[in-house]
Order: sequence, then C-alpha cells, then structure tokens
Amino acid sequence: MAITVHLSGYLKPFSGGETEITLSGEYATLDDVLDSLWQRHLSLRDRVLTETGDIRQHVNIFVGSDDVKRLKGLQTSLKANDIHIFNAISGG
Amino acid sequence: MAEEHQMLLVGTAKGLFILRGTNGKWKIDGLHFAGRAVYSAFFDQRKGRNEMWAGPVSWHFGAELLKSTDMGATWDAPERMRIKMPANTKKALENIWQIAPGANDDTLYVGTAPGGLFESHDRGETWKLNSGLWKHPHRKKWNPGFGGLCLHTIVTDKKNPMEIKIAVSSAGVYQTADGGETWVSSNEGIKAYFLPNQYPEFGQCVHKIERHPKKKNTFFLQNHHGVYRSRDGAVTWQEIENGLPSNFGFGLTVSDSGSVFIVPLDSDGVRYTCEGRLRVYRSRDEGKSWEPLTKGLPQKNAYEVILRDSVASAGNNIFFGTKNGKLFGSGDDGDTWKLIEGSLPEICCVKAYQF
Repeated sequence: MAITVHLSGYLKPFSGGETEITLSGEYATLDDVLDSLWQRHLSLRDRVLTETGDIRQHVNIFVGSDDVKRLKGLQTSLKANDIHIFNAISGG
Repeated sequence: MAEEHQMLLVGTAKGLFILRGTNGKWKIDGLHFAGRAVYSAFFDQRKGRNEMWAGPVSWHFGAELLKSTDMGATWDAPERMRIKMPANTKKALENIWQIAPGANDDTLYVGTAPGGLFESHDRGETWKLNSGLWKHPHRKKWNPGFGGLCLHTIVTDKKNPMEIKIAVSSAGVYQTADGGETWVSSNEGIKAYFLPNQYPEFGQCVHKIERHPKKKNTFFLQNHHGVYRSRDGAVTWQEIENGLPSNFGFGLTVSDSGSVFIVPLDSDGVRYTCEGRLRVYRSRDEGKSWEPLTKGLPQKNAYEVILRDSVASAGNNIFFGTKNGKLFGSGDDGDTWKLIEGSLPEICCVKAYQF
C-alpha cells in the first residue's frame, strides 16, 4: 500500500526540502503512517506533534479530504491514499 | 576616549534582530527566524565561547531552543527539540520565556510556559526539567496569566550556585538555597489585588525581579500593580512607589551604577504609557524616590506598551523596546535617550551586552 504525504512548504526545513513523500507499507491508521514518516524525517515529529503525542493546535492533518481532528485523530483509519499536513490559517 | 562596543539581541513577534553599536552608532542584522516570535535570547561569553541562544516560537510548529556559534550568522537545527516536557508531566511546551546563565560557567537555565525550569550543566548539550519546582505542592493552585504560566525571570548568584530565585506569572517569587532541590515562596509584602486574600503566600502576578549589581541581598520587583524592593534576599518586600504616576508596568532593569529603571503604564485595564507620554522612571536611591526621564522620548500621543523583558542595561547603557516596535537607548544612565530603530515588529525582549 503506497501512501503519499503532502507537506506544507513551511515544513520543508524539517523534511530535507521534500513536500511530497511516498511511503510503502501496511498501514491501518494515520499513526502508522506518521511513524513511518518520522523514520524518514525525524525532525518533522516534534514540529507536527507535541510531547504529549497530540497534533499541535495550529497544525491540521487530512486523510483524503477529512480533517482527522474531527475524526479519531491519530487513530483515524486510512480511507484514502493521500495525507496532507498543513499549518492552520491562524496567525497574527 | 576608548571605543565602547555594545550588542543587543532584540526579540520581536516576527523574529530576532542583532544590533551592534560602537559609540552610539548602530548596525542592525536580521531578521533571524522570520515569522517566529522570540521572547528569549542570551549571549554566553563565559570561557570565551561566544555562543548565542534564542527561543523562537512558531505558533504552528512549536517553541525550540537554538544555538549559534558564529555570532548569529547561522543557527543550528536539532532534529529533536532540546526543551521538551517529560512524558510524566502530561504537558507540552508552550514557549521559552527566559535563557539565563547559571553560577557555574557550564550551567544554563531556561524558563518556560507551562511554568517549568529547565537546567543544563554541560553548556546546553543536555537538559532536564527541575523536578523540585515542578513537584512543588503550590503548583496545582498556580494560575496562568495572559502569556500562559510563564517562568520569566531567573536570578542566579555568581558566588553561590546553590542560590536561585525565579518568578512565575501568576505564582510569584520562589527561591532555592540548595541548587533547586527544594523551593520556597518568597512573596511576603507583595500584593495580589485581584484575589480575595490580597497578601497570599503565593499567587502574585510578579512581572520582573532584578538584583542590585553590588548588593547581594537587595532586589527590585515590578508587580502587576506594585513596585517593591527587598533588602533581605527577596524574602520580604516593601513598596517603593513614591513619585510614580502608576505602579503598573512590566520591565525593570538596574544599571551598574545601581540606578533602577521602570516604564510605568496606566492601569492593567488600559496598559499604555500614562497620559500618552513615554517616560522612563529612574530611582537613584533604591526606590525612595523616582524621577521621570523624558529627554529624547516623545511626550505627545505616545501610547506605548513595554513588555516584561524589554528593558535592559549593560553598564550604564539603558535600552528598552515597545510593542509598537520602537527601540530606544541611553548612553548616560538614562539622562538622554535616542531612537535606535522605529519600525521593528512588536518587541518581546531586549538583551544588552557591553564589550
């Protein structure tokens, strides 16, 4: 199963400049994919998740077009092959 | 006359600027960490190592502690963040409010929201949360201020590494005499007008404390409404408000001459310079009296806010920055002031060094 993770451009410093990362493996949940993503780019981990393992307040992750914060968070099932990690539009 | 060199680390809501000055002329370098707010910075000159530290926070991707070993030309990028709340706290780091040297040359302290004190005894290579303060029984009753539960002030004693004083909004002043194993609250005499018991053991919203440069046991404190002095090592505090237009404000510094500087703001309900006049107040008698300093500062339509870490001194050079992005400096212990920069982003901290 191939999953493509699309990253906000603001995360390029933490992904070696990549904004599209294709991962192959057996994944049941978003958490499984992210574990694989951290193995490829460990720097992304602390910038996307807090120490408590939560998705940062102003980071949004979508499986397909579904915002996982409205579903089961990291335990959201994979019903699409595309994952998007965006900074939220909050700011000042 | 010998040349006098200064360096300012100016943290703003949009990044860090490094200003280098020679005999009153300044060059500005930046923006570092574009788009990230910088509430803390420190230049470590101990043992001749010239290391800069900063705590930029991305409101999206978190706060981290970064280091430069080439005077700010480049900054490192650790894979894992240096400052992380341990899993057993079940808390996440919100911001880095202070970076301070310990008494020992290899020791650094970092003050954070949510009210954590981190320490490193190997020049910043490894860090741990100070558990004595974290497990303090008062903690469960501490309340965060507008900036979170921020541990914003760390005062160490060069001659006694065991003695550390810290301040947290809104918990008050705490100090240790055993290097951080145990901590006691040190708020006797400090008012908390916003609580039913206005002189509680803890819970005060202390905004800044600083030690007198030559008197080990003399401290000055800017409170959330209240200006205080202690002569007994920050154990008890006495009001020193004679001649001030307001007792509300944030920043405070003490120059090498022993002059104390604050910038009073109108009450906490409005929070701008009193009467729209930008006046620094100086005390040359340890708070018995205060005098307004206005030469070079706008006295009409100047509605400024000066935050808790935005007043600084190096020798008898005094600096302060405003939320409107103005940076002022005085080279004569506050007698006269000059605008150094006028259109920076909101200034969150000013750190001053002299060479």
